[in-house]
Amino acid sequence: MAPTLCFNCKTERAVIIRPKNRHKLCRECFIKVFETEVHETITNAKLFYPGERIAIGASGGKDSTVLAAVLKTLNERYNYGLELSLLSIDEGIRGYRDDSLETVKRNAVQYDMPLKIVGYGELYGWTMDQVVEQVGKKGNCTYCGVFRRQALDRGAAMLEIQHVVTGHNADDVAETVMMNLLRGDLPRLSRGTSIVTESKASDTKRSKPLKYAYEKEIVLYAHHRRLDYFSTECIYSPEAFRGSARTLIKDLEKIRPSSILDIVKSGEDMAVLVPGNTVPGGKSCKSSAAADDEAGGCGSQNGRSSGGEMAAMEQQLAANDTAESRETEIKMPKKGSDTKKIKTQTLQYCEQCGYISSQRICKACTLLDGLNRNRPKTAIEIGLEDEEGSSTLARQMEHIQLTNS
Amino acid sequence: MPAKEMDLPCMECNNAEAAVTTRSRSLCGPCYQRFLNYKVVRRMEKYKGPKDLAKSSVPTARLLLPLSLGASSSVLLHMLDKALARQLAKTSRTSYVLEILVVEPSTISPDQASCDIQFDKAREAFPKHTFNRVPLHSIFEYVPDMTEIMRDYVGPQYIDDDSKSNEERLAAFRDAASSATSKADLDTVLFTRLAVGYAKHTACESILWADSDTSLAAKVLAGAAKGRGASLTWQVSDGMSPWGVMFDFPCRDLSKPELLSYVSVCPELSEIVIPDRPLSDNILTKNLSIDELMLRYVTTQGEKYPGVMANVSRTAHKLHSTSGHGGPLCSLCGGLVENVNGNEDGITVTGQFATENPRFCYGCMRSRPDTVLN
Amino acid sequence: MSDPANGGAAPIPITVEFTGGLEILFANERNHKISLPGRLDDGSNPNISYLLHYLVDNLMKDQRKELFIMEDNVRPGILVLINDADWELEGEEKYELQAGDNIVFVSTLHGG
Repeated sequence: MAPTLCFNCKTERAVIIRPKNRHKLCRECFIKVFETEVHETITNAKLFYPGERIAIGASGGKDSTVLAAVLKTLNERYNYGLELSLLSIDEGIRGYRDDSLETVKRNAVQYDMPLKIVGYGELYGWTMDQVVEQVGKKGNCTYCGVFRRQALDRGAAMLEIQHVVTGHNADDVAETVMMNLLRGDLPRLSRGTSIVTESKASDTKRSKPLKYAYEKEIVLYAHHRRLDYFSTECIYSPEAFRGSARTLIKDLEKIRPSSILDIVKSGEDMAVLVPGNTVPGGKSCKSSAAADDEAGGCGSQNGRSSGGEMAAMEQQLAANDTAESRETEIKMPKKGSDTKKIKTQTLQYCEQCGYISSQRICKACTLLDGLNRNRPKTAIEIGLEDEEGSSTLARQMEHIQLTNS
Repeated sequence: MPAKEMDLPCMECNNAEAAVTTRSRSLCGPCYQRFLNYKVVRRMEKYKGPKDLAKSSVPTARLLLPLSLGASSSVLLHMLDKALARQLAKTSRTSYVLEILVVEPSTISPDQASCDIQFDKAREAFPKHTFNRVPLHSIFEYVPDMTEIMRDYVGPQYIDDDSKSNEERLAAFRDAASSATSKADLDTVLFTRLAVGYAKHTACESILWADSDTSLAAKVLAGAAKGRGASLTWQVSDGMSPWGVMFDFPCRDLSKPELLSYVSVCPELSEIVIPDRPLSDNILTKNLSIDELMLRYVTTQGEKYPGVMANVSRTAHKLHSTSGHGGPLCSLCGGLVENVNGNEDGITVTGQFATENPRFCYGCMRSRPDTVLN
Repeated sequence: MSDPANGGAAPIPITVEFTGGLEILFANERNHKISLPGRLDDGSNPNISYLLHYLVDNLMKDQRKELFIMEDNVRPGILVLINDADWELEGEEKYELQAGDNIVFVSTLHGG
């Protein structure tokens, strides 16, 4: 079979087929096109300003490694004037993060960027290993996701950086759209599709420059540039993908390769139609309560869904349904069930730790309170001086700020 | 107290053996029918007419019911027929009349048998309503500018001339689709356009679509996956369609399995309903259409998580309508050609693609034959 | 050199690489050198489909076959590169292997 020639340069052998338009490109042209498109996303969305200090949420995985590599390249090529650094979270899972943190450390050298690693242990007083010891393997992903969400912001605050970029790609956004359609959470669907999320109260801005990049192209970019990344499935969620929205997305891609961006397109349009949402879905989402509830799932999977989530949703809905059918007897028609009402969330600060939250007490503190209440007296952890029940996040934070200053 | 011992008495009337269990209720056939019926009648309240219907001079509404002779649309017809009979007995008139449209299945897919027998049985069983049966290619009669739209959509590779019959013309258009997904997608569009054209032709103000929550959930997910998210506001929600005909989904609170159980306890329907062709397990995923993939997903996941699947169409139903979001409409499917107003160009997905034909929307452009450049 | 048992065709040495997390299924070994028969019992030449079966039968240490193979093909979300080119450019599972080929399987499903 004669090699197919590149659609762009017409001279080199094509090695990739682009999912979005089926163009066949050679290695060089692909790398160039990929970078140019990320650059266009950055400039069209005006993500950065000259001199801005940016923390790249780095896990050592493919997405954040590609993000760091591309940002470094573009920063130099187009003179963005950005001050880039890497920010990593150590969940405290023995044997899992060790290798990926080593990768991040190598990346820091390769890309010549400063690196900050923040641990769950120092932030919350609990490593994930300890959480699992306490709550078991079931449901621990919730803890990890909630803790992770705040950890990046808090890490950025330590570095006095106001803008965190994450490696969320088009597949992640598409999954968020599908997941939230299944979950029935339109506000979250809307937030998940926007390229920038910033809350009115917190001064940390978040953005996803790879929002329009297919995961497939990210992996191929990493492969063809021989980037050094690490991949593993979290040891606590070995079955994470079964029956999940992720699987659905991958099946869709097989059927129609463009469909991932097609879903993102749907999500962007629907975001504008979400009741109570006046903010364009594509641009920037200043919706309240953006802070503590976005990552429902596993932090290490970029908030990807797990099969278990569906079961939890079903339970919730079944409970609602039973309640509804109890109050609505078969023979008593009830009027006005068709109103288009939707819960709106209001912004407030967590009473315990001061972090922005949609509830009186933020999710992290709620989870921590539960953990601390049940902490076995015999298993007092090293470095944890607080008594049972009083080791709230606020205290943990004070502790860290003291020791870090 | 029941007269004789029963294994499982009906929880409602306590007088008969329960035949079906749904939503933690075990009910006999008639009580089960009543239970489902209530959920549908509740959705039809807007067509109930004023309280003093007998004396009122409000005109009778004309509603179109597309009947595929599958379980859902047959059950809907059965329920509405009963409801109209009750209304007639009570007020000596009805607030609406039904126009029944059957699109001959053998013109939709050659491997489907003609529905001659079932069509006649249905007409016999529901003599009060007007029945009509048309082939899919009658779309050229009911949507006069369809030939031109198709030519424009497919482009030069769609060879058309006046010597072609409508049947051949439609076949050429459908054959041009390059994948199972595009074909199924365009078929849905054509079917909708035909129903709307027919509704206008027969002066019907609304179309009653018989989709179950299962089918609506699959449509929501498939619509999202095909870049048609903005159109979901009318494709699965009660309200105005882009063509000035209302769309209603009275079975939206019932699942497909519930509608099938209805058929099983309703002898009148036994000779009418054409059983669904089973979802084939042996087709490889990559050869399915997106519509089929989603129906398969919703059906299989619905066995484990019926509540989650039922909730999907309710969620889409909460979205604001796109009316007022302006801009030209796609001449093929009726969706917005541009982004929903408020969704800025340049940093949206549409900015990722070169400007395409300004007459057609994103979703239709994805299904257009030349989008695959292989 | 000819071997009557496989119709006289010389064996085909190739290298197979698993990355992106897939190596976990193959004893944590990223690179494998294998040799495929030059001709199969039915007279055909070994292609990617054959290779997939070969890998599952001979190289895969993990019992969870479905993490690699689905519907008798590579699981969606796993990319296949034939000499660095997307396998779609080379005929996917029907590509017939040549001596010295480098086949890479990359998972996109694992954490990033």
